[in-house]
Formats: sequence, structure tokens, C-alpha cells
Amino acid sequence: MAMIIDKETLEHVASLARLEITPEEEGPLLGDLERILGYVAQLTSVDTSAIVSKRPAMTELRPDEPGEGLTREAGLAGAPAMRDGFVVVRNVMGGEDE
Amino acid sequence: MSSELPRTLEQYRHAVRAHELSAEEYLDETRQLIERGDPQVKAFLHLRLDAARSDAQAADPSSPLAGAPIAVKDNIMMAGERCTCGSRILEHYVAPYSATVVRSLLAAGAVVPGKTNLDEFAMGSSTENSAFFPTHNPADLTRVPGGSSGGSTSAVAAGFSLGAIGSDTGGSVRQPAAFCGVVGFKPTYGLVSRYGLVAFGSSLDCIGPIARSVRDAAIMMNVMAAHDPKDATSVKRPHVDFEAALQPTLAGKRVGIIRELQGFDVQPEIAVAMETARKAAVKSGASIVDVSVPHILSALPVYYIIAPAECSANLGRFDGVRYGLHEDGRDMTETYSRTRNAGFGTEVKRRILIGAFVLSAGYYDAYYKKATSVRQLITDELDAALQSADVLLTPTTPTTAFKLGAVTDPLEMYKADVFTIPADLAGVPAISFPAGKGAAGLPIGLQLMGPSWSDAELLSSANVLFTALGGES
Amino acid sequence: MTTTIGLEIHVQLATQTKMFCGCSTAFGDEPNTHVCPVCLGLPGALPTLNAQAVRLATRIATALGCTVHEVSEFSRKNYFYPDLPKSYQITQFDHPIATGGSVPIVTQRGARNIRLTRAHIEEDAGKSMHAADITLGGETLVDFNRCGMPLIEIVSEPDMQSGDEAYEFLRNLRRLVRWLGVSSGDMEKGAMRCDVNVSVSPDPAKRGTKVEIKNLNSFRSVKRAIDYEEQRQAQCLADGTPIMTETRHFDEVQGTTTAMRSKEASNDYRYFPEPDLPLLQLDPTELESVRAQMPELPWEMQSRFERDLGLSPYDAALLTEERSTAEFFQQTIVLYDNPKKVASYMGTEVARLLNERGKTLTETQLTPATLAGLLTMVEHNAISNTASKDALPLLVDTGTTPMEAVRSLGLEQVSDTSAIEGFAREVIAENATQVEQFRSGKEAVLGFLVGQLMKKSKGKANPKLAGDTLRRLLK
Repeated sequence: MAMIIDKETLEHVASLARLEITPEEEGPLLGDLERILGYVAQLTSVDTSAIVSKRPAMTELRPDEPGEGLTREAGLAGAPAMRDGFVVVRNVMGGEDE
Repeated sequence: MSSELPRTLEQYRHAVRAHELSAEEYLDETRQLIERGDPQVKAFLHLRLDAARSDAQAADPSSPLAGAPIAVKDNIMMAGERCTCGSRILEHYVAPYSATVVRSLLAAGAVVPGKTNLDEFAMGSSTENSAFFPTHNPADLTRVPGGSSGGSTSAVAAGFSLGAIGSDTGGSVRQPAAFCGVVGFKPTYGLVSRYGLVAFGSSLDCIGPIARSVRDAAIMMNVMAAHDPKDATSVKRPHVDFEAALQPTLAGKRVGIIRELQGFDVQPEIAVAMETARKAAVKSGASIVDVSVPHILSALPVYYIIAPAECSANLGRFDGVRYGLHEDGRDMTETYSRTRNAGFGTEVKRRILIGAFVLSAGYYDAYYKKATSVRQLITDELDAALQSADVLLTPTTPTTAFKLGAVTDPLEMYKADVFTIPADLAGVPAISFPAGKGAAGLPIGLQLMGPSWSDAELLSSANVLFTALGGES
Repeated sequence: MTTTIGLEIHVQLATQTKMFCGCSTAFGDEPNTHVCPVCLGLPGALPTLNAQAVRLATRIATALGCTVHEVSEFSRKNYFYPDLPKSYQITQFDHPIATGGSVPIVTQRGARNIRLTRAHIEEDAGKSMHAADITLGGETLVDFNRCGMPLIEIVSEPDMQSGDEAYEFLRNLRRLVRWLGVSSGDMEKGAMRCDVNVSVSPDPAKRGTKVEIKNLNSFRSVKRAIDYEEQRQAQCLADGTPIMTETRHFDEVQGTTTAMRSKEASNDYRYFPEPDLPLLQLDPTELESVRAQMPELPWEMQSRFERDLGLSPYDAALLTEERSTAEFFQQTIVLYDNPKKVASYMGTEVARLLNERGKTLTETQLTPATLAGLLTMVEHNAISNTASKDALPLLVDTGTTPMEAVRSLGLEQVSDTSAIEGFAREVIAENATQVEQFRSGKEAVLGFLVGQLMKKSKGKANPKLAGDTLRRLLK
């Protein structure tokens, strides 16, 4: 039977989740994930054709009024690097939607 | 524990209001218990006993909790205190705000002795997944207390606090309550605010009270249950006095037994406890009915798709940019990966990977979307079953507490959640209460589930059985 | 060669607080001072939806002719970037608040309706400033003030065919959002941002390779980028160079687009329904009242001004650029029923003064009543047109009535025929040469003589009367 999750897929998924899988971790992890995904795949045999999703709706929306905020110091007390009030990170130009 | 000291929140409150005992005196006694016993139990990740003493001195005896010590699971934010979620990635993180429930408890006179241990990010059923150390079951220190709220249930079982709060996503309040021999209640989803609970499975997570008696749980619910405008999933409900709603009888109630769970293998003592409970229910005036929840056994695979999916997104914020562990890399991508790799334990990584997989292109429909449909199916079936019964009775767990290190296969660990998971999927309230002890004196817990918003009735029914089966009064 | 253009526009909704928390939306304050657990993505925080953001979104979607869906759903869009604290953005994927709709445009090609695909609400990310902008080398600075700001994302169908059309589309959309008070539409302040998709194909039946362009800071940049990209792709097609499906960055200085550093294999955003927010259910009665209370839209009013009031396209466009201007105009013509004159006056004299003072119409003291009054005085010959221009600054700068302004400046026009006759006779007597010239057929000289009469009357003479009188006396 074809594997649900192979090495490449694992690497792709790990990259999406920004997780590093070490060589030692890889084998056992693949094994665990294959078994778990194999286990949950049993759902495909459940007939859900008649099912209607019933999510509730929001009853009240938040009024457009100022709320309790945090000072910069309180909110970013744990930031590893700050400069002139900004959070500092490695240059990411050319990365995502900006 | 000293036989003169109150054993329940109710007794404590009575004693304090009758001036027989002060909050500081009680805290001093429990401090001794903690200092003597916690090095072995390891229920707490951080203690704040000096601060707690000042809080106790300032406590108002006429307040609902009157200075009672209530422990808080370390995935619930308390301003000024560390909130590690049992993880290296938040090892040094200090909460800049308090969860709504914590604010409510403090305003009601609760005193927090410390933050309790948990499976990392609430993922686990034994508290062995804590990045720091496992907690040991006070009933048998060689065994697990259950999880993920193992620290909270141990603290209550060992007398380190009169009550505690934990979080329940797949059973994390009820299962450790069963293993430790205390009461653990998961309210209807939306009854108690989630604001300030570090999210694991957002559509499943519930904060619930852990206590020595069902009445105590009801007392805590009176403080905890309130609509919170900061939580959009919090539901406005008419006010209920959970304690006042406790009735001494099950007369006229229908107790449902789920047909599809009958064949499930449970430890013999647990089957015996179920039978004892059935008899007690009948004796109290209830009738036993057979109900069907045809797809109840699908609840496990549904949960192990939905919970990881939600957690894979919820744990994305732990990236070392604004708080938490930060490990440098050559570029931003590497910085993220190094940080998260160093910060997250194996079970957390496993679940994030499963989650990312089931949401990813090409797999979303077959896994995540399918799971949400089956979830609705199970919810509908459970709701239907709860039309022909007022409560459903099941064991909380298939076994009593296992030895530390005994269960290493993640899938085996997951499968033990069979009884608790359905309530989280359907959002219905469920409670585990102690139902005697098995071989080697290990606690047994049984579970009652009720329809959504029947929390008061459920607590009442549970109280009857709890009392009948020898629970704390 | 067919060019196909689609636009994705993000418009910041003009609320007091952010989309999912009560932090201020004020622009330009110190970095990271409008923050809270929610918009910082702190552990345990939860989003709560801003009622006003929903109202504004409903208003704009209705105005655009979209189908506004009573029930819509929020989704998580998952990716990692330093300015995205939760590592997911709360947006709407499967069930947006609106679909369909259109924006009318007029270009040299003619009038067209550009269709919209959808509109949905979502939160903004923070602002990253890269080392290229500041001398920091290798670092990016992040400000989370913008993080969580309420946005409506409007996606057009790929209906546009030129940079000009895209430009007009954006202009009209901006005009509309300002008109309805939904957004300032200020691209400079980031209240409106635009990404462009362009493809060029030799075959009108087949669409070419789609190229995305980002980093467009003005409508003009959008046009320039499209024009450049059109050329570039056409050149590629001619050369045989393959056109890559990619995202390109627009260089303001060069006016060119360049390929961005290769992104990782296109991001899988793993959209799923946001569990922290129940469904958004709109009240059908409220939706109906939004529809019923919708004011006349700027382009509708613009057409009506041309068609029914006979205004020139230029004047009609100018008057409907801002709603406050249009309303001012409408109120003025109720009091002084000459739309063309009012339009012309507003477009020239008033506009000039506003420019000089760097003010908008509503920031001045001029009111429809005072403007109407001034123009009425001209109409009744109480003052000359020239004199009105002298009086106008007073009306604009102070709350004076036209009457008071005219009096204080001594601008009352002389229409007394005998007085004018007296001046005329003096002028004729003093300017024999010009009189001779006029009598011998040089019509234009009359202007000079009228001018002399105006001088004598210190500008107060009714010029028409002056001309007629001179003409009569010179026969």
C-alpha cells in the first residue's frame, strides 16, 4: 500500500510549519505519522453526504471604542531585540506579502 | 492531611466565615504540605507562596472563595507570573495580562499558590510531555497523574490547594481527575471564557474546575461561568446558581448507557464501578436507558485531525520574534526553524506536523473537511441520544493510572481518550467524579455527560452519584 | 496584442479601533504604542470583531453593487512573516461578505463597467522597514501599530486592458470610499494599497502568463508599472523569451519591474475556518436600510450634472470629486438657480482661493448661502463680476455676508444711468483718438474706453451698462 506520508512530504510539511526535522528524528517521526494518519484515515468510510454544518453565528459585535491596551514595554517585554521602539529581526526583504 | 483542616472548599468557607480559621492560617498549613510533599509529587512549576500569603491576609471572608487557595494550570495567563505551558519555548515568559477566569477568581477572593505542571501546550494524557519534569500521582508516586492537567489534579488530590483550574480539549481535566481521584468538570463550550487560555484546539478548549467534591466544583462554577465580551465564542446565558441547583435525588431522571461503548475493553474494576453507579442511580430514582451514538468510535480519529489542525495554526505565534525562546539562524526562515525546533518537544512537533498535513493542499478535503463533517454527525447523534436520556454514564478512562514511562506509543496514548473526546467534539458538558478505588488503591473515575447548557443539572446528577459512591461531603 | 489586468485593492476602513481589538487606528504615532495582547499575538489572546468595520464594509459593498451575503465566515491564512504576529492572518476565504459588483470608468476608450469578483474583510499585518530604507544593514524593523487594522479587500475581474483603465478604476474607487466615509483612501498613508496582475497575449482568446506586481505606492505608479510590464511582456513574446508566473517589484525611480528574489515554492496557506469567530450574520433589515439610505453615488451625480444641469464634463467631475463639494454646490444652486455659473465660479475663483490657502472648502467660512448671495448680487448688477472676485476672499476667510463684504470694500456697483452717462461723456472728451478709431470701425477700441470709464468709477461702474452707454453716445 502506498505510504500516506513520505520523506519529501514530511520535509514539505515541516517547512510549512517552520520546524526542523533532524536526521535522527526523521525515521521515528515518519513511522509515527504514518500510523497516526493511517488511523485517522478510517473516516473516509463514514457517510457524511447528508450532513449540514451548523456553526453558530456571533450575537453581538464589539463596539468601535478604545479598549484596554498594553504599553510598548509591557507588550514587548519579552522581545529579543528592539531598537528605537521597533522590534528588530533579520532582514526579510523579498520574503512574503510586503 | 490534618483531620482538623477543612477538606473541601465548602467546609473551608464555612470555617472562615465562622471565624474558626483564617485564610492565612489555612495557607500556612497548606504551605507546609506543599513544602513537604511537592518535591515528590511535583505538581507545581512555579510557586508564589509569599505573595499568596499577602493575598490571603487581604482576602475578604464574605467573598465567594474567601481566600481559598486555587491552583492555576500553567497554560492560563496570570499577570506578573510566568506562563510556560510546560514548554521550553516559553520557559522564561512572564504574562503581561490575566485570563478573564483568573481575574474572576481573584476578584472572588481566590488565592493562587502557584502555577501547575502540564503536558506541553496541553498535548498529552500523562503530564509526561512537560518539558521540565513529569508530575507524580499522589495516590501512587510511581504512576502518572494523567494529563494534560496532571499538575492541577495532583495539587488538589494532595491537599496543596482546595481547588484548581485546568483546560480540557480532549479530556485533559476529566482524565487526570479520574486518575487522581478528584472531581474534574468540563463545562459547555462557551460557558466559561477562554480569553487568556493559551490556545491548543480553539473549537475544543474549555477551562474547567478541579475540586474534591462536586459541590466545590459548583461553587467554583458560580465564579467562573460568565459571558466575556473578549471571547467571541463566549455565549450569554441566563444566570444560574450552580450550588443552589444541586438536588439530592435522581428521581425521574433517565441515565443513558451508550450501546456502542459496551464492547470497549476496560479494566475490570472500572466495569464494576460502572455497575455500582448504575445501581446507585436506580436506587436514587433514576431509570436506565439504552442509547445509541452510532459513530461515537469515530470521535477519536476526528479529534486527532481537528485538534492538531487547530494547534498547528495556534502554535504559529511561537516564533521568537516578540517573546519566548529565540535561536538565531542565517536568515529568517532558519531563525524560525531553529527557535521552534529547540523550543518544542516531540509530541508538540508531531501534532503540528499532523495538523499542517491535514490542512495542506491536496489533503484538506479528505482529512480536515471530512473530520468536520463527521464531527457534526457525532454531535447530532449525541444530541439525539440526549433527547432520550437526561445524562449519559460512561467510564472516564479505560484504565486506572499507569506507571510513569509505561506508555510510549503515541497512538496507544491517544486511544485511551475514547470516553472523554466526544464531549469536546460536541461541546456538551461532562464531569468526572471519583467512584471508589481499584486494585492497589488506584482511583477510579466515572463520567456523566449532559446536553449543552445543562451544566447545573449535570452537576446535580453527578453530585448524587458522587455522594452515593462515597465522595467528600 | 491583448493586455489583461486585474487589481487587488486593500482599503483601510475608517474606524476608531482595529478590526479585532480595541487598539487605536490613529496614524503616525510612536512605533508599537497601539498594541495589546490580541494584535501582538500574545498567548491566550482572542479576536473580537469591530461592529463599525462591518457597517463600513457593508456600505461600500452595497455601493459597489455587490451581492452582500447575510452569512459570511472568517478564515485563517497561515504563513510566517515577522509582521504577522499570530503567523496567520484572519481573513475571509470560502465565504466572503460580498461577491460581484462593479466600478464604472471612463477613459479615451470610452465608458466601461469593470466587474468585481469579490470583497471581503480582514486584518492588516504590521509594517516592516527593511535595511534598504534605512542604514542598518541586514536588519528589518517591525512596527505593530498597523497590525490588526481593519481592511476590506476588493478584487476585480481581469477586465481592465490598459494602465489608463487601471488608473481610472483606482481613482473612482478612491472617490467612492471617501464619498461614503468608509476610508480616507490615502495611498500615501497606506489607507489604500494595490497589487496588480498583468498578462499580455497575442491571441485575444487566450490569456497570457499572469505576472503579479507589488510595491505600488500611487495610482500613477500603478499606471507606469502596467505600461512598463505591457512592453516587457510584449518584448518577451516577440523575442521568444518565456514569461514567468512570478511576483515582480516596481522600481519607482527607474519605472521598471524586476523579479523579486525567488519566493519559496508558492506558499500553501492552509486556509481553514477561524474557530475563534462564529459566523458573521448580518441583519437583513439593516442591510435593506443601508441600501435605502445609500446617497447618490459620485459617478451618478457626475452624470446627472452633465445631463440635467448642462455642466461641462470638467466641471461635473470637479464638483463630484468630494462629497462635501458636491453638497455645497447643490445647496448653492437651490439658493441661486444657475448651475453653470455656480459651477464655473467654484471651479475658477473659489478653487484658486482654496489652493492659495491650502484649505478644503469645508475648512473655510464660505457657505452656500454666502456664495449664492454674492452671485445674486452680480446677477442684479449690485456689483460687477470683477468686484465679486475682490469680495470673495472676505467670504472665504471670515463669516461676513456678501452685503457686508461689498460695503466694507466699497465695491457697490454704480448702475445709475445718469452717473454712468456723466462718466461716459468725460471719457469721450478725454480720449479723442480712440473715439475717432471707434467711429471709423475699430470695434475693439470700445474695450479701452470701457476700461477708462471703469477707472473713473473706481471699478464700480456696471461694465455692461458702461459699454452700452458709450456705444449710444458715440453713434
